[in-house]
Amino acid sequence: MKSVLDSKIPSGPLKEKWDNYKNGIKLVNPANKRKHTVLVVGTGLAGGSAAATLAELGYKVKSFCIQDSPRRAHSIAAQGGINAAKNYPNDGDTVWRLFYDTVKGGDYRSREANVHRLAQISNNIIDQCVAQGVPFAREYGGLLDNRSFGGAQVSRTFYARGQTGQQLLLGAYQSMSRQIGLGNIEMFARQEMLDLVLVDGKARGIITRNLVTGEIERHSGDAVLLCTGGYGNVYYLSTNAKNSNVTAAWRCHKRGAAFANPCFTQIHPTCIPVSGDYQSKLTLMSESLRNDGRVWVPKKQGDTRKPRDIPEAERDYYLERRYPSFGNLVPRDVASRNAKNACDEGKGVGETKLAVYLDFAEAITRLGKDAIAARYGNLFEMYERITGENPYETPMRMYPAVHYTMGGLWVDYELQSNVEGLFVLGEANFSDHGANRLGASALMQGLADGYFVIPYTLGSYLASNELQKVDGSHAAFSAAESDAKARVEKLLSIQGTKTVTEYHRELGRIMWDYVGMSRTEEGLKKAIAEITALREDFWKNVLVPGEKTTMNKNLEFAGRLADFLELGELMARDALERQESCGGHFREEYQSEDGEAMRNDDLFTYVAAWAYSENGHTLIKEPLEYESIKLTTRSYK
Amino acid sequence: MAESMNIKLKVWRQAGPKAQGRFETYTVPDANPHMSFLELLDVLNEQLIKSGKDPIEFDHDCREGICGSCGVVVDGVAHGPQRRTACCQLHMRHYKDGDTIVVEPWRAEAFPIIKDLVVDRSAFDRIIAAGGFVSVNAGSAQDANCLPIAKTAADLAMDFAACIGCGACVAACPNASASLFTAAKISHLAMLPQGAPERKSRVTAMVNQMAEEGFGDCSNHAECEAVCPKGISISTIATMRREYFKAMLG
Amino acid sequence: MSLKNSLSSPVGKKLITGITGLGLVVFVLLHMIGNLSMFSGDDAYNEYAQLLASFGPLLYLMEAGLVVFFLFHIVNGIQIWVGSKKARRMGYDTYRSAGKPSQQTTSSRSMIVTGLVLGVFLVIHLASFKFGPGGPGNADPSYVTSVAGEEMRDLAKLVHHKFASPIYAFGYTFVMLLLVLHLRHGVWSAFQSLGAMRPSLTPIVYGLGALLGLAIGLGFIALPLAIYFNVI
Repeated sequence: MKSVLDSKIPSGPLKEKWDNYKNGIKLVNPANKRKHTVLVVGTGLAGGSAAATLAELGYKVKSFCIQDSPRRAHSIAAQGGINAAKNYPNDGDTVWRLFYDTVKGGDYRSREANVHRLAQISNNIIDQCVAQGVPFAREYGGLLDNRSFGGAQVSRTFYARGQTGQQLLLGAYQSMSRQIGLGNIEMFARQEMLDLVLVDGKARGIITRNLVTGEIERHSGDAVLLCTGGYGNVYYLSTNAKNSNVTAAWRCHKRGAAFANPCFTQIHPTCIPVSGDYQSKLTLMSESLRNDGRVWVPKKQGDTRKPRDIPEAERDYYLERRYPSFGNLVPRDVASRNAKNACDEGKGVGETKLAVYLDFAEAITRLGKDAIAARYGNLFEMYERITGENPYETPMRMYPAVHYTMGGLWVDYELQSNVEGLFVLGEANFSDHGANRLGASALMQGLADGYFVIPYTLGSYLASNELQKVDGSHAAFSAAESDAKARVEKLLSIQGTKTVTEYHRELGRIMWDYVGMSRTEEGLKKAIAEITALREDFWKNVLVPGEKTTMNKNLEFAGRLADFLELGELMARDALERQESCGGHFREEYQSEDGEAMRNDDLFTYVAAWAYSENGHTLIKEPLEYESIKLTTRSYK
Repeated sequence: MAESMNIKLKVWRQAGPKAQGRFETYTVPDANPHMSFLELLDVLNEQLIKSGKDPIEFDHDCREGICGSCGVVVDGVAHGPQRRTACCQLHMRHYKDGDTIVVEPWRAEAFPIIKDLVVDRSAFDRIIAAGGFVSVNAGSAQDANCLPIAKTAADLAMDFAACIGCGACVAACPNASASLFTAAKISHLAMLPQGAPERKSRVTAMVNQMAEEGFGDCSNHAECEAVCPKGISISTIATMRREYFKAMLG
Repeated sequence: MSLKNSLSSPVGKKLITGITGLGLVVFVLLHMIGNLSMFSGDDAYNEYAQLLASFGPLLYLMEAGLVVFFLFHIVNGIQIWVGSKKARRMGYDTYRSAGKPSQQTTSSRSMIVTGLVLGVFLVIHLASFKFGPGGPGNADPSYVTSVAGEEMRDLAKLVHHKFASPIYAFGYTFVMLLLVLHLRHGVWSAFQSLGAMRPSLTPIVYGLGALLGLAIGLGFIALPLAIYFNVI
């Protein structure tokens, strides 16, 4: 294990780094591309776009997803939009400004060069998606429409109603489908990656489980692309899809890939509040709602009047009051923390008192109900379906929920982990969002990685490495396969008394209470102790029903939970180690007098990359060097 | 808190693709009006596991009505009684204490049952792979605003592109036809200039693939539109036919 | 792709069913209007029949066209039905329509039944009337009459004779009610099959189609009932 991580940032001024990189790399001869097999795990925006693009270039691609179709990856649920520095509205946007907003939004804990490349590429993504037929919203003149999102003072968000993620994903999926039809991609749906196979220190294959037959399979290739999304489900309740998990990434981590900034999680401010113990997941309401919705709570504690009966003077529009320049459009971490504070002060609303109002009355009066319906109609319908309340008449009740994880496997500028041949794309890596992600940036990153970054960096890797031919019969595959089989058998053999869901809820409670929106040294230590105990109990007392040879979702979830039980502890440790508040990571000990996050740039301007070994985790720091941006206190006031 | 309800469920159980299936009846004594239909199944499954039985397998993922994973026939209607709602967003407040709910998988030869309520919908993927795309390689696109598209056309394209590929259209169709699914994609791309160069080959290939997968033919019952969680109109099917006739004429 | 393949595709089958269906609607409409001439008296009716017969080769051509339309319509309809059975071998325990905007009705679900009954009826009907006494290959002097000095087949007599029997009169009425059911879904469906539909037109065309079906059916039914109850 290398004790220093080389970020491989290219030389030259920030604006020229990506071009310099592209000019300097070796290329794979077109005729040789088909001799390389690339394994792409995950079919979301990152994996789908990568698989399609690599196949278009001529590589042989094998693509894997746990869902029944690549079209169902969780990117599909992204609602609001995708950022790009097109500056079509002529409101002062530039590549630099998108870059700057993203670094600032991330509270100066991301890598300048990566983020700048992302901002540069952002425009190509919109072009590509439009060419694929993605039906972005348009103005009457026939040109593309933009809207505003949190953390920016320009309108740079492209959107397709409240279904932008769906449309972008279907664009990538369709491109993939075309390559599947042409025979350039071999698709393996309902297959879960259970391990990474290393040969001579390089990633050369994966072990998967066929989720229909239970068979354990070996797949070999010249490189592995991990595009498996985030780990928000460690909290049990999150906006992530039920199948989203950390297993593939965690298995890679245990094979040597460093895990960076695991404690950086994003708690999204506008989600439908929890309604009961049976709750299985949380539903996000797009950030775009904050364009017209006003957030408030009653000024009086424990006010049980109906929202419409509370007069203006007795309402606290706390975001507008505290952050006059950004108002309701402050970044997500700020909005979430303020909602929590309001509820902690006893001003929460609804049955559980864990909610704040998001009110459209003023916007409906100003713009008319039809205009609001045109903008948010489908979101309002969804809210009503879930809560039984009509948001045209009564304000929505909102509470923060875990939504996105900025942390992930450590990657260098080439999106390669410290394990050679293992590339990590999209939410699964840590690279671009620092300590907080701005709205509409996840879609941008996933597609940037897949369509426009990996084709170059993977090519460079393949062209500059002599890779011996390796197939599934190699001893490393046998070893990894037996490990995977043993794990499955172990889980089934325990036959204890507590179900997987019960353990998962318990882990979620610990994580939410102590590693959630605000964290303390004491709480984090408690979390580590409780998670350790829970994990031990899990391996003694979990009850996994059914067999290993048929579809068995409880068995799948058990394996994923086993990894979450390890990850949760590392997240708490990482949060403990980072003695500052930044972005989504808020340590109560480190706050300003008026309760804002207080960074400590002298000590913590680094990426915390955790390396795994049999003896536990060790921290490797990758210092973050800011050459182009001056670190300032983030202010949205 | 809302009062709990006693709900009976008559659920299709089938151990594997070739196994003989049967209905089993279960009772959930503590259903809550705020819970979703899938959460009701979750609660039932916990109950089953605790009593040493196999839980009911059903596909689900986002539980926000967008991924298209979930889908069962509830009391004879695909996705259940609420219009434009996938069954993950169906809430128990639509039921009352003592109700019995019949739950069946999508039934179509082109969607073979994998286990219990889980079916194999890969036929849909093959229909898309036959032509449901614009052949444009990454990197070759011109500036996005070089191609103005009337807002009305873009909005219609979005209406059609909203399909989540859940398969309810097939499940509800008396003929088990996949016309609405196939037509939605054809219509989405037919509305846009980007889709124009391949429009003829697309419609021909997709329609042929649909037939090859063993779906039935359309008899214009329009049941598909009624159960579609996205409310996609059967006007897409009319569009698909026009596209096809144009392709036939060469 | 060959024309044959195109026409046997899911869309091609609808094209054939739709075109032949609309053609047959025009035919039954004209047939029904022709039948109504009986209300102007037997002679008018016989003259109308004679007029048709006088078309000679043109009539044969039209009849051949009708045969082709019927055959394609029937064969396609059966194919679609068989295909639907193959596409879902195991049905639902509980099944119901989700309601509007579904157009699923007794009409739409019984197209194969009403269609087959109409097909069988067609054979009997042709045997009874077209090829009945006095018809082609079945010369019968008692069914010859003379109108305005011209000798012709006395089809009116045959009609009177047949519809005096309750089985004929009510059987015919029943089958014509099935035709109403068939057309209620069929007319709208044909336009949708031909791609001529848009959401705003659907309720109008469906309504007009159903009305047309009803008018045709009632027009047909009027004659046998009038004869049976001695109105004419």
